[in-house]
Amino acid sequence: MTEPSVQKAASQGTGRERRRFTGLAIFVVGVACLFVAPFLHLAVRSLEQAGTFVAEITSPQALGSLGRSITLAAAVSVAAAAIGVTAAWLVTRTNVPGRSVWRALLPIPLVIPSYIGAFVMIAAFAQGGALQSLLSTFGVDQVSGFRGFFGSFVVLTLFTYPYVYLPVQARFRQLPSSLEESARLLGSRPLGTFWTIALPQARGSIVAGGLLVFLYTVSDFGVVQLMGYDTLTRVIFSTRLIDSLTSIRLSLMLGILAIAIVVVERGVARGSLIRDPKREPRPLQYPLGRWRPAAAISLTGIVGLALITPVAVCIWWAFRGVVRGDTPVAEFWTSLADLARPALNTSVAAVAAALTAVVLVAPVAYFAVRRPGRFGATASAIVVGGFALPGLSIALSLVYFTLSGPSWMSGIYQTLPLLVLAYVIHFGAQAMNVAAVAVGSVPARVEDAARTLGVSATQRLWRVELPLMLPGLLAGAGLVMMSAMKELPATLLLAPIGFETLSVRIWTGTQSALFADASLACLVLILTSGVLTWLLVIRRSDTLI
Amino acid sequence: MNRRFGCALVAIGIVAALSACDSGRDPLVIYSGRDEALIGPLLEQFAEANDIDIDVRYGETPDLALLIAEEGDNTPADVFLSQSPGAVGFLANEGLLGELSAEELSAVDARFESDEGRWIGLSARQRVLVYNEELVDEADLPGSVLDLTDEAYGGDVALAPTNGSFQDFVTAMRQIEGEDVTAQWLSDMEANGSPTYADNSSIVDAVARGEVPMGLVNHYYNFRKLEEDPDAPSRNYVFPGGDVGSLLIASTGSIVAGTDKQDEATAFIDYLLSDDAQQFYSDETFEYPLTEGIEPPADLPPLESLETPPIDLNDLGSLQETASLIEESGLL
Repeated sequence: MTEPSVQKAASQGTGRERRRFTGLAIFVVGVACLFVAPFLHLAVRSLEQAGTFVAEITSPQALGSLGRSITLAAAVSVAAAAIGVTAAWLVTRTNVPGRSVWRALLPIPLVIPSYIGAFVMIAAFAQGGALQSLLSTFGVDQVSGFRGFFGSFVVLTLFTYPYVYLPVQARFRQLPSSLEESARLLGSRPLGTFWTIALPQARGSIVAGGLLVFLYTVSDFGVVQLMGYDTLTRVIFSTRLIDSLTSIRLSLMLGILAIAIVVVERGVARGSLIRDPKREPRPLQYPLGRWRPAAAISLTGIVGLALITPVAVCIWWAFRGVVRGDTPVAEFWTSLADLARPALNTSVAAVAAALTAVVLVAPVAYFAVRRPGRFGATASAIVVGGFALPGLSIALSLVYFTLSGPSWMSGIYQTLPLLVLAYVIHFGAQAMNVAAVAVGSVPARVEDAARTLGVSATQRLWRVELPLMLPGLLAGAGLVMMSAMKELPATLLLAPIGFETLSVRIWTGTQSALFADASLACLVLILTSGVLTWLLVIRRSDTLI
Repeated sequence: MNRRFGCALVAIGIVAALSACDSGRDPLVIYSGRDEALIGPLLEQFAEANDIDIDVRYGETPDLALLIAEEGDNTPADVFLSQSPGAVGFLANEGLLGELSAEELSAVDARFESDEGRWIGLSARQRVLVYNEELVDEADLPGSVLDLTDEAYGGDVALAPTNGSFQDFVTAMRQIEGEDVTAQWLSDMEANGSPTYADNSSIVDAVARGEVPMGLVNHYYNFRKLEEDPDAPSRNYVFPGGDVGSLLIASTGSIVAGTDKQDEATAFIDYLLSDDAQQFYSDETFEYPLTEGIEPPADLPPLESLETPPIDLNDLGSLQETASLIEESGLL
C-alpha cells in the first residue's frame, strides 16, 4: 500500500467512526434512561412533601448512620482489595500449588447471600458457636466482639473480595509480562516486581473492583442487621413502612452518595490504564521457592474462612436431622429434589440478567472510554449508582413505571423479563466497571493497525476489539450472574407468581427458622453458581488466553 | 461458546414459556406476609376443597404492603395476609382495603379486628421471654416485663428493636402504661446494657447458644428451634397476669379493595376462620386460634386468661411515634 492510500483509508475510517459513535450515543442515552428510572422515582416520591427534605437528610441521626456506612464501606473495600489482589496475583503469576482449584473456588463466596452468610458466620465464630466450643477445650470461655463494626467488617470482607479478585485476575492474565520479565532480568525480586510493575498496571481493575465492594457494603442490609451495626440501610429498612418518606429520602441519599463516589473514582482511576498489552502465549510465572507453602496456606485461609466455613455450617444444619434420625432419608431426598426447579429458575434468570447487562452496559463503557467527556461520564455514573440503591427501591420504581405505562409495558408486569430488567438495573454496575477496564485495555496500536489495513469499523469491533475485551466482559457477566442469583427483595416482589428461586427458598427457610431447609437451599445455590461460573466464565476465559 | 450460549437461550425460552403457560387462567391472587411454612398447607387445602385456583406471592409483610400501595388500582392482589395489624393499618389508611362482612367479623373477638372492618385476626402469637435454662433459673425471672430493667438483669436481655412484633409490643405498652413509663422503660433497658439483635430467630438462636441468657421474642420461634434441635436449652416464659409483656399479636386477613373476585376472596377468609383451619394454627404453627371452641396448643395458657386490654395497633401515626421513641432511647 502506498502512503496516500493509507491516509485515505484512515480518514474514511474516521468518517465511519463518527457515524458509529452517533449511533452509539443514542444507544447510551437509551440505557441511561433505563438506569435513571429508580432515581427519578425516588426523587418524585421524596419531593411529595417538600420543605423538610434537606433538614431530614442532614439530621444528626441520618448523618451519623451515613458516617458509619462510609466508614464500614471504606474499611471493607481496603481489606477486600488486599485479599483480592493477593489471591489474583498468586493464582495468575506464581507457581502456587493447585492453581486450577483455587481459580474455581475463589470467586464463589460472592454468591452467598448476606443474611445467611452472616448467620452461619455467627454460628461458627460467635459466643457459644463452633469456634468457641473448640476453644473451650483449651480453657477459652469467651469469644467476644464478633458483632457490630468488627463482625460486619469481617463477614463483608470475606464475601466481597471476589469483586476485586475477578477483574484483577482477568487483568493480570491479559497484561504483558514483558515489563515484569525485564524487571526480573534486571534483578528485581518477585515481590518488588509485584509492587512496582504488576500492581500499578492493574490499578484500574483494583479501583473498579474496590468501588463495587464499597457500593455493595453501603447498600448491604443483611450483614449489618444481624451484626447490629447501625448503618443507613438499617434506618431505611426499619422505617420503610411506618415512615416511608424518611426511608425514600435516605435511599435517594444513598444513591447520590454512590454517584459522588463514582465521580471521585473516575479521578483516581484516570490515566492508570496502560493501553499496550500483548497476548501472551505463556503468561509469566514466578517460582515461589520456599514461599510456596506459605502462599498455599494463605489461599487455604481465604477459601477456608469465606467458603469452607459457611459450607460446613450449612452441611451440618442440613444434615443434622438426618444424622440424628429425626428426618427420614427419603424425606431428605424429596426436599433436595424440590430444589431442582428453583435451581433452574435461578440459573436462567441470572444468566439472562448477566447477558442482558453486558449487552446493554458494555457499549456505555465503550463510549465512556473511547469518547471521554461529560456525556459518557454521566451515563456511566448513573449506571454504577444503581448498585447502591436498595433492591426494594428498584423493584417499586419498576412497579410504578410498568403499571403507569402503556398496555404493552404493563403486560410484562411480574413476568420474567421484568425481573431480569430489575437485576440488570441493580447489578449492571458490576458489568460496567469491569467492561470499562476491558475496553481501556484494548491497545490503540491494534486498532490503528486494523484501520490501516482497511478493516471496517464493524469488523474491527467484532474481530479485533471484542475478542480482546472478552475476558473482562466475561468477568463482568460473572459478577452480575452471581449477584442476581442471590438477590431477594426485588425477586420477591417482581418474579412471576410461583417462580421460586433458590434465594427465595433460603429466605423461606430462615423466615420460619427452618434452618435445615435454608441450609440445603444455600448449598444448592453455592453449587449451582460454582458450576455456572466455571462453565461460563472461568473455563471460557482460560481458552482465550 | 456459541453452542453454550445457544443452550442458555433455549433454556430461557423454555422457562419463559412455562411461566407464561400459567397465566392462562384467572386465579385468586393472595399476597402473603405469612411464611409459607405457616400457611402453605391451608392454602392448598382451600384450593382443593373449593376447586378455586390460587396464586400466592410470599414476601415480607411491610414490602408487600408497599407493593400493594404502589400498584394501587392495578394491583393483581385479591387478598392480603399480614403478620401484624400495623401493615394493614397502613393500607386501610390509603383506602386500599375492602370491608369485611359483619358475619365474618362476628367470628372473632373485637380486640382482634379493625374498627372499620378492614381486617380480621386469623391467629395470634404471644410475646414471651425466651431464656436459657442452663444459665437462668425460672424462679429468678420477674413477674412483669417492666422489671427487666432491674440491675440483676443487666446485659442479659436481648431485644430486636427493628422487628415489627417488638414495635407492636412497645406500641401496646404506650397505650397501657403511658408514654412516660414506656420511654423510661426503653431507655432503662438501653442503660442496662441490653444487647440488640436483628430478629426473633437470631435472639432464640443466641439464647440457645448461651451468648445471651434471655430475650424478648414471639412464642413460636422457640417451638421451632426445639423441633430442629431438641437438645437446645432454650425455654419460653410467659409473664403472668395479663402483663403487657405477654401481649397477643394477631396475624390478619383482608380483602383488597376493588377485587373482581369478591366471592372467592370471602370464601377464602371464611375458610381461614373455619374450625379446620383454626385447629391447624393450634396444632401446626403453635399459635392461638381466635374463633371460639378451638383449644390453644397444650403448652399455652387459655386465651381468656390473658386479660390484656384492647390495643390499637391499627394507627400508623402511633407506630411512627413508637419508632421515634425506640430511636430516642438509643436502642437502635
